[in-house]
Amino acid sequence: MRIDYKLNDKFDFPIFFTMFFLLAIGLIAIYSATVNHLTMSDNFSRQVTWAIISLVVFFIIYSLPSNTFRLSAVPVYLVSLFFLIVVLFLGKTVSGAKSWLDIGPFGFQPSEFAKLGTILALAFFLSRRTTDIDSFKDIIIALAIGFLPVGLILLEPDLGSSFVYVGVILLMIFWKGISVFGLFVVLSPGFVALAALFGLYYFLGALLIVGVALVFFKRDLFFSASIYALNIGAGFFADYVYHALSPHQQKRIQSFIDPDSDPLGAGYNSIQAMVAIGSGGIAGKGFLNGNQTQLQYIPEQWTDFIYCVIGEEFGFIGAIITLTLFLILLLRILKICASAKDEFLSLLSIGILSIYFVHFLINIGMTIGLLPVIGIPLPFVSYGGSSLLINMCMLGIIANIYRTRKQFT
Amino acid sequence: MKTESFASVPRKTIISLLIIAAFSLFGFRLFQMQVVQHTSFDQRSAGNSIKGIEQTPLRGVFYDRNLEVVVKNQPAYTLRITPADYDRSLNRLLETVIDADSGYIDRILYNNRLYSRFIPVRIKRGVDFKVIAWYEENSEHLPGVDYIVEMQRGYPAGIMGSHMFGYTKEISPDQLEREKDYYRPGDYVGHNGIEKAYENYLRGTKGYIYILVDSRRREIGSYRGGEQDTPSIKGHDLVLTIDVEIQRLAEQMMKGKRGAIVAIEPATGEILAMVSAPDYDLNQFSYVTTKEFLDDLYSDPDKPSFNRATMSVKPPGSTYKMLSALAALDLGVINENSTIFCGGGFTYGRFFKCLGSHGAVNVTRSIEKSCNTFYYRLIYKIGLDKWAKYSNKMGFGKKAGIDIGEEVAGLIPDSKYYERIYGHNWPRSIMASLGIGQGEVSVSPLQLAQYCALIANSGKSYTPHLVKGYLDDYTKELIPFKFKEINTGISEKAFSLVREGMHLVVHGSGTATRMRIEGLEIAGKTGTAQNPHGKDHALFVGFAPYENPKIAIAVIVENVGFGGTHAAPIARAMFETYLLGDKPRKHEEVKPQTLSPMVLGALSEN
Repeated sequence: MRIDYKLNDKFDFPIFFTMFFLLAIGLIAIYSATVNHLTMSDNFSRQVTWAIISLVVFFIIYSLPSNTFRLSAVPVYLVSLFFLIVVLFLGKTVSGAKSWLDIGPFGFQPSEFAKLGTILALAFFLSRRTTDIDSFKDIIIALAIGFLPVGLILLEPDLGSSFVYVGVILLMIFWKGISVFGLFVVLSPGFVALAALFGLYYFLGALLIVGVALVFFKRDLFFSASIYALNIGAGFFADYVYHALSPHQQKRIQSFIDPDSDPLGAGYNSIQAMVAIGSGGIAGKGFLNGNQTQLQYIPEQWTDFIYCVIGEEFGFIGAIITLTLFLILLLRILKICASAKDEFLSLLSIGILSIYFVHFLINIGMTIGLLPVIGIPLPFVSYGGSSLLINMCMLGIIANIYRTRKQFT
Repeated sequence: MKTESFASVPRKTIISLLIIAAFSLFGFRLFQMQVVQHTSFDQRSAGNSIKGIEQTPLRGVFYDRNLEVVVKNQPAYTLRITPADYDRSLNRLLETVIDADSGYIDRILYNNRLYSRFIPVRIKRGVDFKVIAWYEENSEHLPGVDYIVEMQRGYPAGIMGSHMFGYTKEISPDQLEREKDYYRPGDYVGHNGIEKAYENYLRGTKGYIYILVDSRRREIGSYRGGEQDTPSIKGHDLVLTIDVEIQRLAEQMMKGKRGAIVAIEPATGEILAMVSAPDYDLNQFSYVTTKEFLDDLYSDPDKPSFNRATMSVKPPGSTYKMLSALAALDLGVINENSTIFCGGGFTYGRFFKCLGSHGAVNVTRSIEKSCNTFYYRLIYKIGLDKWAKYSNKMGFGKKAGIDIGEEVAGLIPDSKYYERIYGHNWPRSIMASLGIGQGEVSVSPLQLAQYCALIANSGKSYTPHLVKGYLDDYTKELIPFKFKEINTGISEKAFSLVREGMHLVVHGSGTATRMRIEGLEIAGKTGTAQNPHGKDHALFVGFAPYENPKIAIAVIVENVGFGGTHAAPIARAMFETYLLGDKPRKHEEVKPQTLSPMVLGALSEN
């Protein structure tokens, strides 16, 4: 009993096992999605290899001294930026984005690596004793640290990863302790910009809500007016960006607003993904028996649309089990965040939590038709070496924070 | 602290609530899609499917060396079931129609259970056209059943080539597991012979056509305008080294016998004919192989499925005398003038007899007369290990490396071999028998033919092979395969003396004078291998023409008696057909039965 107690104290079994089950579910789904595929049938064995490598990395990071992360924050961030620039020149183009770097026999996506660099740097900056998150200057610096990589990623252009950063930056600033008004100032332009994409009436409605909120906050007139102007500007900017987007990206946004408008084109994936999940029923069609999956309806199903395989072949039960595993994982990490021994580690772990959470939100939201098709993987489940490796690194950090939570040095 | 809370709610609570809200929203949405609206999604899923249709490429055909087709493709009907659409209650009806035993369909479906239910499973190949006509009339009552026209192997040249060509067979689960990138259950692959060895050249590249089908599996159009369709690419046509004429002749002459024939072009190592008798009818494998046929094939005591040409080993008998002669001449142990006195035998511990008293014989005369005494003595002069080394140089005791793979190395004993069995003081008298090709020494017909080819071409040739190359699909040019060059390094002088002896066997007063053909100089050597289990095996090796040889042959007929009587006439007919381009003048003449039993010359060998 004594030994058990000690091990539990040093190693957080709930996060390890939920991760392990998610990994297993992912491997089963990847096998099913690729076993009858002409060219991808060895994805399963590749993913197994990556899973083993990643688990080793997890345990290495788990056993590092906990001040490693603070010491490495700035260098990792700078290296991330370096690779994000290098990929723009030397990168390999994969599905329209210049996002891959080949190093020897391996390929990796700098944008995956940069996620970790960005949260390390943000946590480092926000946990400085002198940082006041409600001061205009520090908010701008925090946003700059966060949005510098976003700008570089948008140049690739990789829209999906950029969304993740936005979510992560917001959640970290929130965790640092931004006030209600501060958050409103940061968020409202985005809200208006999104509404602008849906059309004029949505845009005007959003402006009305922002106006009412500004009245409610009762700040001085000049300040309120500038924020209102900023919001209007954001709306026009969104419209401008929409028109500057390439036609296939415009179509994606259009097809989210009305998926049936082009059922064989941009909305095709979204519809087929929903048909796959919906036709799974309560118990699913059974392993290797999903016709949507086996007939390869949904392109690249082993990566971004992996959740369809689970939904179709293992039904509502399989889909809910997967959701529940994520729920346990996320809440458990949140608990570790709150018990971290210092603010840097607490901010770092909330950054990691937000990465998982935003991926989870966007990926599953997209496959069940609640969000537009944005190509980002489901953590631990989707096929993909760099994504799995970096997710496992970050989970290693969480496990490390748990292990060292009682060491005060 | 003010930062702990956000609008008086703890921040941790807010994030927890966000996570739980996302979970609830997703859970609710899944419930709505998978439970409430399940039926409508299910209909959509079933109502609109893409079906990938595999386009099986044509297998490459085989040509003989003169570009006559020997193995071709011919159409046949295959009945299939797509498990996802099939109703098992139809089993009995279908089994009756295709004349299968009850449980046949369930067994096949069970074997394929690990694969997608949307991939059609082949139920029976080569079904009768009557079955197809019946299906066409009733197809609407037979969901999930269809048929396709597939190509099967046909053998138009009237030659069997059973062991050489090999046959194709449904892929085994083991091979499927190993090569699942390319193959699917039910695919036919080369199972043995050339079909197996050259599978990668023959199989071609599969193509795929994608079509959209509705819930009744009716085609409603091509998927994405056919942009993802890929056509199949035909496999390469192979050009074999065999010559249809003499292959056919060799097969006919071996009918009703057991044994093997291998004929090789000496300068190139190309196999002109290869027969293992008894053989079996490859046509039995083209469609549905019946169980009775397989039972017969594998239970036959004559083992027709066994390739005697490359897999059976026997003592070479007197045909091995040239080996000792070559070794002794090359080592300088003897020269063309050296003689050994034959007084009717040789004593070494016991008496080894010769079938005559040949007096003082030199090396050419020893071959001509097949004098045993000469070779009993000669092997002691050479020494066992040197004799074994020369055997190896001439291709014995190791695999020849024939391109179809299936072969055995045989055995060439050396002093280490006997030391292992008898210890250091092994009885040296054993060597005497080896000198005349009896005892432990055992060789395959292929090795004997190669040996004969090497003698004919003064020790230089190429690894024996059955396939010259393949034809380029566009230019129809022959792209040759490369084979290893062989050079024994034995002196030209030794070979020419041995050839002279072999020439005298036919054209002097030797053991095969009956095989002379007007206008053709033949060299050869008969042999008889002692068989402790029954009648002796008859052997013949030979080549022709004597100057500038074009064909070297080894013939082995099991359990019939003397080589000169039973093996040499077969070789004679093959020489005649191949080199003089004539059909045998009278068919009876080549049959050994019609040879006069009083030809004592043939009995004086060994």
